[in-house]
Amino acid sequence: MTTRIELTVNGRGRSVDVEPHHTLLEMLRDDLALTGTKECCLVGECGACTVIVDGESVDSCLMLGVEADGAAITTVEGLASGDRLDPLQEAFLETGAAQCGFCIPGQLVSARALLDDVPHPTRTQIEEGLAGNLCRCAGYEQIMEAVELAAARHGAADPAPHPRAVTTDVASTPDAKVAPQ
Amino acid sequence: MRTFDYERPDMLADALALMADADGAARPLAGGTDLIIRIRDGSIRPRTVVDVKGIAEFSRDIRIEDGWLRIGARTTMTDLLRDERIRRDYAALAEAAAYVGSVQIRNRATLAGNICNASPAADTAPALLALEARVVAVGQRGRRVIPLDDFFVRSGVTTLAPGELVEAIEMPVRSGRRGSVHARRTRRRGHDLASVTLAVTIDEDGVTRVSYGSVGPRPVLAIDDTGLLADPAAADDAVRGRLDELFAAAAPSPTSMRASPEYRLAMLRVMGLRAVQDARKRIAS
Amino acid sequence: MSDVVGTRAPRVGGLDRVTGRQAYVADIPLDDVLHVKLVTLPVARARIGAIDDAAACAVPGVQLVMSARDLPSPMPRFGPQRRDRPVIATGETKYHGDPVAAVAAETKDAAEEAAALVKVAYEELPPAFTLETALATDAPLVQDPSLRPDDPHANTNVLHEHRHVWGDIEAAEREPGLVVVEGSYQFPMVTQFAIEPHAFMAAPDGDGIAIWSAIQHPNWLQRVMAELLKLPLSKVRVHAPDPGGAFGGKQHAKYEPLLAFMALATGRPVRLVLTLEETFQAVRRGAAQVHVRTGFHPDGALVFRDVEANYQIGAYADIADRTVAKGSYTSMGPYVCPSARIVARSVLSHTVPSTAFRGFGNPQQIWAVESNMNEAARVLGIDPLELRLKNLAKPGDAFIPGDTPADGDWAVAVRRAAEMIDWGSPTQPGRGRGIAVGLKSGPTTGLSYSTVRLLVDGSVVVYAGTSDMGQGARTIFAQIAADELGTPLEWVTVVSGDTAVVPYDQQTSASRSSVFMGNAVLRACRDIQAKVRAMAADLEGIDEAGITVERGQVRIDERTIPIADVVKRGLGRLGGEIIGIGEMRKDAEPDHPLGGTAAFYEFNCTAVEVEVDRETGDISIPKYVTVSDVGKALNPNQVRGQDEGAAVMGLGHTLMEHYIWDDAGRIRNLGAIDYRIPTSMDLPADMDSDIVENEDGPGPYGAKGMSEGALLPVSPAVAAAVTDATGAVIRDLPMSPERVWQALQELDSAEPAS
Repeated sequence: MTTRIELTVNGRGRSVDVEPHHTLLEMLRDDLALTGTKECCLVGECGACTVIVDGESVDSCLMLGVEADGAAITTVEGLASGDRLDPLQEAFLETGAAQCGFCIPGQLVSARALLDDVPHPTRTQIEEGLAGNLCRCAGYEQIMEAVELAAARHGAADPAPHPRAVTTDVASTPDAKVAPQ
Repeated sequence: MRTFDYERPDMLADALALMADADGAARPLAGGTDLIIRIRDGSIRPRTVVDVKGIAEFSRDIRIEDGWLRIGARTTMTDLLRDERIRRDYAALAEAAAYVGSVQIRNRATLAGNICNASPAADTAPALLALEARVVAVGQRGRRVIPLDDFFVRSGVTTLAPGELVEAIEMPVRSGRRGSVHARRTRRRGHDLASVTLAVTIDEDGVTRVSYGSVGPRPVLAIDDTGLLADPAAADDAVRGRLDELFAAAAPSPTSMRASPEYRLAMLRVMGLRAVQDARKRIAS
Repeated sequence: MSDVVGTRAPRVGGLDRVTGRQAYVADIPLDDVLHVKLVTLPVARARIGAIDDAAACAVPGVQLVMSARDLPSPMPRFGPQRRDRPVIATGETKYHGDPVAAVAAETKDAAEEAAALVKVAYEELPPAFTLETALATDAPLVQDPSLRPDDPHANTNVLHEHRHVWGDIEAAEREPGLVVVEGSYQFPMVTQFAIEPHAFMAAPDGDGIAIWSAIQHPNWLQRVMAELLKLPLSKVRVHAPDPGGAFGGKQHAKYEPLLAFMALATGRPVRLVLTLEETFQAVRRGAAQVHVRTGFHPDGALVFRDVEANYQIGAYADIADRTVAKGSYTSMGPYVCPSARIVARSVLSHTVPSTAFRGFGNPQQIWAVESNMNEAARVLGIDPLELRLKNLAKPGDAFIPGDTPADGDWAVAVRRAAEMIDWGSPTQPGRGRGIAVGLKSGPTTGLSYSTVRLLVDGSVVVYAGTSDMGQGARTIFAQIAADELGTPLEWVTVVSGDTAVVPYDQQTSASRSSVFMGNAVLRACRDIQAKVRAMAADLEGIDEAGITVERGQVRIDERTIPIADVVKRGLGRLGGEIIGIGEMRKDAEPDHPLGGTAAFYEFNCTAVEVEVDRETGDISIPKYVTVSDVGKALNPNQVRGQDEGAAVMGLGHTLMEHYIWDDAGRIRNLGAIDYRIPTSMDLPADMDSDIVENEDGPGPYGAKGMSEGALLPVSPAVAAAVTDATGAVIRDLPMSPERVWQALQELDSAEPAS
């Protein structure tokens, strides 16, 4: 039994009749023909299905389509404006971050969410911000460099930390602790 | 995934009625990061999924009320991380929340959902136990408060009555100084289910709370009120000995594929000493 | 116009990848498609009884439940080396995940629901799912002996035994004063875990069939399908969209045959997208147990090496035995070793069929041999770097008798890696360094065709059948054509992935395509140049001898004319185009153990600095360097991406990846939660890659193949660094924190208290 939901996808109002047990990922790919967002692990580990929902990056495989009623969603297809690429997309092209490309929509969307939140992240913040996006082709380096490049191009560096910055400057050992700030 | 009915009540009374009427066949949906996986793998087959995120009485905020820091049912891990009071005064919880999955998971996973899922490896559980948390549960018969140590039973099982929902999780606001630390053991640095979780809080009055998880069917809280663990001058060997006493309830599963019982116990001890040392530094600073 | 070969030219297909427009198989819509779901049994091995599909067929939308009874009898079988694999399990399922039936339905939901309702009666049979059980004298046989009647091993699970012997090892062993170092090593069972799970489609296509598969070898698949369906090649069309990662796991047919039969049975297109869990049950690397015994003179010179390797392959042969062949043939390493004995066996087991995986049988033996070298260095009291340099083959050395001599100055890469890691400088307490080299022989035979069309406006279309799975194949072919024909890179289109349109390419594997297809493209361009030369001679009324055509310029005496101008004039009012054909072929040498000599070698040196937390076993990597000998980097940025990607993939099997089995032969850690691969937080703190370009390869501009080399020596380099830091010697992978801790515990208890 489908439910009709109304939502905004990439700036456009959409109306979808969705089955309750279909995930947001399935709805985007199968009902809205937005196949840029990918299916891989389906357990929220790989991030290939990452989209932005109301400003936050989420694994769309773990969200039901019906939960997106009234939400504003951004997928990889919504990063560019017309033929103007998002600076992240430009940067990914420049550094050659995309190899097979399958993880790239998720990486881009996660990076977009990260930069929207922390416009000038440290390398550690980038590594953590994208830790939920697995890549099997790359050493991740060119992806990280692309995010740094896009961030560097975004105006001058902010003099004060962004008020909504998530300050998890976690050291890189498994039992390390967050330094409270 | 098998199909189910989806409801998104906007009033608590309606939500509770749905839960009660379903007679066990309804499941609450908060962040979905556990529930969706289990519905997909068939380990849970609900007839109805009740989305709690629309309930007006369920908040997503963190506020202080009557000496308690109250975390609403809809509060996510990311919300916790962004809250300055959590980071400053409940550091172990902030650290635990920072390790739940990835950013994408933390943006959806709720604290309430994490404890209701009652995985023995739940990252936030030891931190909450060490921070003296309690659960505000609500059902058709009304509200009740459950100390968190009375909440966990074993993997997947809590003392919530059928039809009850978690409305909030509260931790006391303490006036004195406290150093709190969270630690975990994983197979890689990237997000992973923990094979040992641990939290330590040391209070000004010398009371140390040690809570550990993933080494038994539920997280365990042990308290040292001898002052030994809190004492910066205490010798490491003495600390280890006292910790061993507190770790007596650890009983790691022999069949887990994540880590052997021997390794878990050894790591518990290593992490215990390191966490106590760090908690001492934090209370001093 | 400046050259683009050798520059960081932007990736062809990059724009589609960053906009989400890149169409992988699962993204391609087909009208009227039926969705397929596989039915498997929850056991490792079973005798298949009755299949009751009544309840499944009653699900609305179900069109077909196919199992062995619906296929021709005898069951059609396929496989790249032996035709042992049935289209679907018949009589017996031979591994956990071996499909016994498949449902086709109008919707994914219906297919899933119906698949769960298919009732299969079965009797569980004892599986041989470890090397030990598979090699036992009373082992249950994986393969029916009647399938290989002339094989002396037919009544065992040994599929094949490879033996390579040279020099005189018996005499060498008896030399006095030798230092002999030996050990046994284990390489785990791991899976490719490409981020794109395998997806397949099949549809009746006129009087033939069309297949969609992210297959690395479209022409090979075409041949397999034509044979199975008894169709002429011209009636089998394989569409091969770019794989979302392949690493060898998409080289050979898996479920395409099944889908083809389902398409023909229903008369409709059918579509199967595997779950990630199902991919773990479809493809993996061969696990191995390798015993190495090496004899050295006290000064470190190699005298003999004796290697015995047992590879645990899966229930169907796939290409696994070839990986054993290639992995064992070079297991002496890139060294001059006077006497050698290599015995390697592929051992069938009731497990997921192992297939090609980056490194192709080499990482397993290199793990053992290079670890053995590092252990020997300690015993001999010689710096492991010096031990390598002392024994390394020099350019032109016939280090493997009867094969291609060493084709690179490999010492340069070794010295470079040592320099980059500051080898020999003091390390901080708690840290250690390790170094290792890796060698793999490239393709031994091969055939690639390319067609290039120079259009009237100077733009170019290149047809090159290489599968672009992330390595950037299309980009380098575009670069070659751009430079050869003087066309801007943006004016070059590369077409691949359609056997109806693109000429024959044998395969995409063995790091062959820069050389084989690169040369084919180059030669097609040279063919065009020759035709333009004839055209110019005709236009000018002069002899061809006075004309040269190269890199987009036509030179006649003192004049230089852009190629496009000549072409436009020459094609005249009818227009048209100039078509060039190019080919690179390396024929088989039937007497050679591998069927042919190596077209080139891939060589890499990796050096690592690690820090070990002795209390927890955690390994962190403050510094990692990898240097590959590539001949010429046609696109340095893509080379870097491949080398660093290979390094991280190697860290996966070194530190965290392995299948976990239960006592009944079932996989416990299917899926992403409990099969760990490196994330962005698991990287070395500082990773640096470099290349050696001596232009000494057989490919365009002196290129060699690359992209597997940097994976080969990762584990021995890391293990040696751990030994250097802690004294613990680890011979089993992965080196998880728990295993390192275990090794440290054993070391501490073995050492007398000081």
